Amino acid sequence: MIDIEPLRFAWTPGGADTLALGRLHVAHGQTVFLHGPSGCGKSTLLGLLAGVLLPNQGRVCLLGQDWAALKPGQRDAFRADHVGVIFQQFNLLPYLSVLDNVTLPCRFSSVRRERCQAAGGPEAVAQNWLQRMGLPQALWMRRADALSVGQQQRVAAARALMGQPELILADEPTSALDAALRQDFMGWLLQAARDAGSTLVCVSHDEQQAARFDVQWSLPALQQAGVNA
Amino acid sequence: MKTLPGIARCSAWNRRSTLVWVVVSLALATALLWTLERLRHDIRSSFSQSVSGVDLIVGARSSPVQLMLFSVFHIGSVPQGMSMDSVRLLAQHRSVSWVVPLSLGDSHRGFPVLGTTPAFFQHFKYGDKQALVLRQGAVFADTLDGLYEAVIGAEVARKMGYTLGQSITLSHGLHDHDPADASHDDHADKPFKVVGILAPTGTPVDRTVHVSLQALEALHLDWVAGTPLPGGQIPADQARKFKLEPEEVTAALVGLKTRAAVFNVQRFVNFHEAEALMGVMPGVALGELWSVLGVGENALLAVSGLVALVSVVSLMAVVLAGLNERRRELAVLRAVGAGPRHVLGLLTLEGVWVTCAGVLLGVLLAQAGMALATPWLQQALGIRLHMAAPLPTQLALAVAVLLAGLLASLAPAWRAYRLSLADGLSPRV
Repeated sequence: MIDIEPLRFAWTPGGADTLALGRLHVAHGQTVFLHGPSGCGKSTLLGLLAGVLLPNQGRVCLLGQDWAALKPGQRDAFRADHVGVIFQQFNLLPYLSVLDNVTLPCRFSSVRRERCQAAGGPEAVAQNWLQRMGLPQALWMRRADALSVGQQQRVAAARALMGQPELILADEPTSALDAALRQDFMGWLLQAARDAGSTLVCVSHDEQQAARFDVQWSLPALQQAGVNA
Repeated sequence: MKTLPGIARCSAWNRRSTLVWVVVSLALATALLWTLERLRHDIRSSFSQSVSGVDLIVGARSSPVQLMLFSVFHIGSVPQGMSMDSVRLLAQHRSVSWVVPLSLGDSHRGFPVLGTTPAFFQHFKYGDKQALVLRQGAVFADTLDGLYEAVIGAEVARKMGYTLGQSITLSHGLHDHDPADASHDDHADKPFKVVGILAPTGTPVDRTVHVSLQALEALHLDWVAGTPLPGGQIPADQARKFKLEPEEVTAALVGLKTRAAVFNVQRFVNFHEAEALMGVMPGVALGELWSVLGVGENALLAVSGLVALVSVVSLMAVVLAGLNERRRELAVLRAVGAGPRHVLGLLTLEGVWVTCAGVLLGVLLAQAGMALATPWLQQALGIRLHMAAPLPTQLALAVAVLLAGLLASLAPAWRAYRLSLADGLSPRV
C-alpha cells in the first residue's frame, strides 16, 4: 500500500534534512497513528505521502506507484483518485452546503465518482457517510460555515471517505475539538476507514487515542532509525 | 454535485460585497466610454445633418469654419457682410440654380433672428435632403404687407409658448439672455406677428426666428452704426415708404444646377473683384471643424481610456489582494483533488463574470443615463441622441474593456495557480 524506501527530504536544497527515514511499509487497510513533538516533520511526512512533496533521495510509493515518476498533473490526478485528506481545521468551502462539500471529490476524480455511482450516486453516498459520522440530517443543506468546528470536522471526514480512496491522510483532525468529542470523532473515523477498506494515516498529539490504531509511528524514533540507516 | 462554474458562482457570491465594487468601477468606465462615443458621434451627425442641399456658402473672406458656423449654426460672428450686388451677380451665374441671402445680427429673447427671403423655406434642406415643413400657418409674404411677419422654429414656439398671431419684438444684437427678460427689446417700436411655425428638425432652424430681409432693413432705418438715431424714430407704418432693399447681407446660400460645377463657381466667387469673398463647401468646412474638434475629442477619449485602465487595474488589485484570504479556499479545493488548472479555471471564470457584469451594467447605465438626458440635450444644445442601435465603435470600446478585464483577471489566476502549486496541501499562512 505505502512503501517508503530510505528517503531524505530538505525544504531548501542543500539545507539540513527535515526528514530522514528508513524503509517503511503500510499494508492495505491498516490504520497508522503518527505522533511526535511539534515541528518534527509530521506534516512534511504527510506531504510526502500525498505526493505534494517529493523526497530529495529515496522513494515514496503509493499502490506501487512512485510519486516522483509522475508528472505534476498526473500526481494531481492520482492524488484526487486515491487520497482523501482531512486538515486540522478549515476543511470546508464555507459558501457551499454541507452536502455539496462532501460530494466535491467526485467533481475532480472520475474514479471516485464512478465508485459512488455504483453505490447509488454521490448524493446518496454522501448522505450515508454523513449519517455514519453522526451528523444530523437537519444540517446537511446548511452552509458549511454555519456548523460548529466539531461538526465541520465530521463533514471533512465524510468527504475524505467519498469514493473509498485507498489512503486517507488526517493532519491532527481532533486538535480543535474538546476531549469528549475527540474520543467520538476518532471512533467514527477509524470505524468508517475500516468499513471503507481505506488505509488511514493520522497525525495526532493525543496519545490516548494511539492504542486504537493498528500501528503507532513515533516520528523521532523513525528519524533516528533513518539517520542510522 | 456542484460543477466548477457552480463552485465559482458560489465563491464569487460569497465575496459579493467586494466584487460588487469592482463591477461598479468597470461599469462606470464602460458607461463613460459608451456615452462619450455616442455623444461624439451624435454631435457630429447633428452638425452634419444641419445643412444639406446647399452647395456653397458665400460670404466675406474669413475662415471657412467661421462662416459656416455663423451662417448655419448662428454661432460666433463674421467680421463683414457681402453686398447685395455680389449676391445678384452670383444669381446670374449660369451654373447657379438659386441663391438665398441670409442676414444675421438681431435676436429675440436669446433666439437668433434670421433675415432671408421666402426662397429659404423652399431651398434650405437638412438631414437627408429633407425640406422644412410648416406645422402651422404660412411663410411670411414677400410684400410690404408681410413686412412685420415672422416664421418661428419649433423650439422657439415650444419654449416661449407662442402660437400663430403672437406679437413679438426683437432686440439688436445676438444676446444670450434670459428668455423672460424683455428689457433688451430695443426694436420694440416695430413688433412682429408670428405667421408660421415650423415642424421640428433637430437643427438650429428650430431655434431661429425667420423674418424678411426688408423687415430687418425697416428695423434699422432709424439706426446708425448700431445705435438708434437720437430723435429720429420712424414709426412702423412710415417705414414702408422707405427703400427697404438691403445693400448688404451676412452671407448667401447657393444651390447649383449640377454639383460638378461647384469648383467652377467657387473659383468665380473667390476671384470676384468687387469685394473679397469666399465660397465654402459645407462638407469641407465641417471636415475642418472636425479636425479642430478632433484634438479635444481624442483627449476626452484618452482620458476615458485611462479611466477604463484604472478600473481594470483596480479589478486586478482587488482580486490579487483577495487571493491571500482565498489561499485557504484554494487549499481545500486542492485537497479534494482540484488541480492547478481547476484553480486557474475558477479564477478566470470569476474574472469573465465580473468583467461581463461590469460591461453590461455600464452599457445599461449609459443607455439609461442618455435616455434621461436626451430631452435636456435636445433643448439646451440641439443635439439629438439616437438610442436605437449601438454604434460599431461603441461595441468595439465595450469589447476592449471586456478583453482588458479578462487579461487583468488572468494575472491573479496565474498567481493563484503558482500559489496552489507552491502551497501543496497545507498553505503556509
